[in-house]
Amino acid sequence: MKLRFNLLSLLLLLLAPGLLPAATTIVRGPYLQSATPTSMVVRWRTDLSERSVVSYGLAADKLTENARSAGVGTEHVVQLENLQPGTRYFYVVGNAPVPPPSTKAGAAAEDGPASAAMSSFTTPPPVGAAKPTRVWVLGDPGTKNDTQRAVRDVYQKFTGDRPTDLWLLLGDNAYPDGTDADYQKAIFELYPDFLRTSPVWPALGNHDAQSANSITQSGVYYDIFTLPTRGQAGGVPSGTEAYYSFDYANAHFICLDSQDSDRNPNGPMMQWLKADLAATSRDWIIAYFHHPTYTKGTHDSDRDADSAGRMNDMRAIFLPVLEAGGVDLVLTGHSHVYERSWLIDGHYGKSNTFNASAHVRQTGDGRAGGNGVYRKPRIRTEHAGEVSVVTGSAGHASTQPVPLNHPVFFLSLNEAGSSVIDINGLQLDFTFLNEKGEKRDWFSVIKE
Amino acid sequence: MRFRSASFFFLLPVLALPAHPELDAALQRINARVAASPQAAALYLERGEIYLGAGDLLTAEANFQVAAELDPQLPRLDRARATLALSRRQPADAIRLLEGALRRNPADTEARILRARSQLASGHSAAAGEDFAAALALLEQPAPEIFLEYAACAANPIEAIRRLDAGCARLGAVPALLERALALEESAGLIDHAVSRLDRIIARVERPESWLKRRGDLLQRAGRPAEAGASYAAARTAIGRLPDWLQESPATTRLKHELVDSAPSLSLSP
Ligand SMILES: [Fe+2]
Repeated sequence: MKLRFNLLSLLLLLLAPGLLPAATTIVRGPYLQSATPTSMVVRWRTDLSERSVVSYGLAADKLTENARSAGVGTEHVVQLENLQPGTRYFYVVGNAPVPPPSTKAGAAAEDGPASAAMSSFTTPPPVGAAKPTRVWVLGDPGTKNDTQRAVRDVYQKFTGDRPTDLWLLLGDNAYPDGTDADYQKAIFELYPDFLRTSPVWPALGNHDAQSANSITQSGVYYDIFTLPTRGQAGGVPSGTEAYYSFDYANAHFICLDSQDSDRNPNGPMMQWLKADLAATSRDWIIAYFHHPTYTKGTHDSDRDADSAGRMNDMRAIFLPVLEAGGVDLVLTGHSHVYERSWLIDGHYGKSNTFNASAHVRQTGDGRAGGNGVYRKPRIRTEHAGEVSVVTGSAGHASTQPVPLNHPVFFLSLNEAGSSVIDINGLQLDFTFLNEKGEKRDWFSVIKE
Repeated sequence: MRFRSASFFFLLPVLALPAHPELDAALQRINARVAASPQAAALYLERGEIYLGAGDLLTAEANFQVAAELDPQLPRLDRARATLALSRRQPADAIRLLEGALRRNPADTEARILRARSQLASGHSAAAGEDFAAALALLEQPAPEIFLEYAACAANPIEAIRRLDAGCARLGAVPALLERALALEESAGLIDHAVSRLDRIIARVERPESWLKRRGDLLQRAGRPAEAGASYAAARTAIGRLPDWLQESPATTRLKHELVDSAPSLSLSP
């Protein structure tokens, strides 16, 4: 009987990996998703199936709280709740809680599971109030090559000790097919430090859609990311991770799916966009999606066949609604160049219909040291102007000569790089850094 | 050598498409893989799907044909051919192909949705509804579109509203589902249902003013002017709670004028 009991215990132990000492390796993450002032989703992947526990607290040696998700597996998704806004939390992921500090004072990290390492994040501040905000923007990053690494390192050096509050991926995040292996190399192995400290908010590109389906919300992109579908992070529920919105301090971010969701003027995405724009009381509205409304780079927004008309749809159907809703910045990728407009409004046709006197709200470079920052009324006013930026060269620039002659743009560059947004109250500063570390463009928008 | 089939020659106009960088790159990659493994049926399926996505139906068909000759049981092939058939507005052919796909894999939700759409295109609403229901039961996170389509093949407005509510229960208060339900409720004379739906929205949103205006309009149209007036007044109050820079925006100013037009007792200034 006794022998039988022992065998049973051994069997139970073997069948319950969460009970075994940690022998697993974290092969992905941790990475942060769906940040709100009071919650954070922490995700990671292990090579072996085990339980999911995040131990966290206000100091590295005070991981006083534990959050878990049910079951065992290799994909770990744990939501931390009841957090304080604008607060730095330290955390460790693993298969068991980190023992409380009383068991071994000041050595929480060593006490934790073998595979764990200490990370930290800062929750978003309370919604609405202004707070200096830094956003890193990467379009089409996922080449896995030296250019992608150089672009990352330039930004890392640029931001230094200044934390990145959030970062945006504008689609084509992992070439060539957005497979799990592509994402592993192009995102998880490229940006481990950013992933564990700053929430990342992605958009779906055509390459991601090779391995994902927006209607069934299935495939790699939808498996990897946890995005707000019920308006948890601010905004109106979209019911889908394909398009969503969120608030950060006094800014509202809107992600559209230009690739794989219905782009009809009366479709669900448009109905949601209109409702979402009408519902926001944030000072700034920033929209991002993959396919550019204007480009003369590695794609041509004048050619109907290019990208199966998606650029036309985003320009002719969605841009008027965004501009009427008071959008300030439209960020896109797909074209592997950098193109930046003046403060513009109302240009929904092909480039030969562009009329500077009708479509440019304010000329000039938008720079304080140049001929003047862009100014918009403080009162939310439809069609007061937006700046459209194609920043699709975080993984590579074009190797072929490209026209770069769309008249809507103040500046067009065939250079690899990424963009940075800094929001300070009613001022928004934008910077483009190329892969050599040169600040190649900058402009500001002020509301008054 | 199976490539003696006539369909092989359809594969040749590979470079005849208009230059398109992403498509060209995808074709270059798949062409290289086909050259390395010319007997791999899955690669012809993949290439066909690329052409299908680009709208080149003829070349897509030729690739699917070769894939079928190499491996008639290839998973996903029937579904791809059904997508092609539906693109050609041949829903009966699509249904026939999807029956095979679903026999092989009843959990293939993409095939299920495709068959539902094909059934709807053939005028078979009930069969379409069954397929949408089956797909919705299988999917962890369906897109709102599927609930809209599921509601569209309901036999009556009550059933359609029930399906939309099921969508809201699973996905949240998604505007497209709410709007469709409100329209159905009003046209079916279910005014109280519509009003309580609006009340639930109003209780939840950060800016209720335009929803309160809509509530007033609905009640006005339904011949309930006193309740409509109360709703308009509540909208006016909600506007008064907005920060100045939103109260004075052109959109809010328009709304204020519309409220005053609807209920002259209200004033433009706070
Ligand atoms: Fe792209």
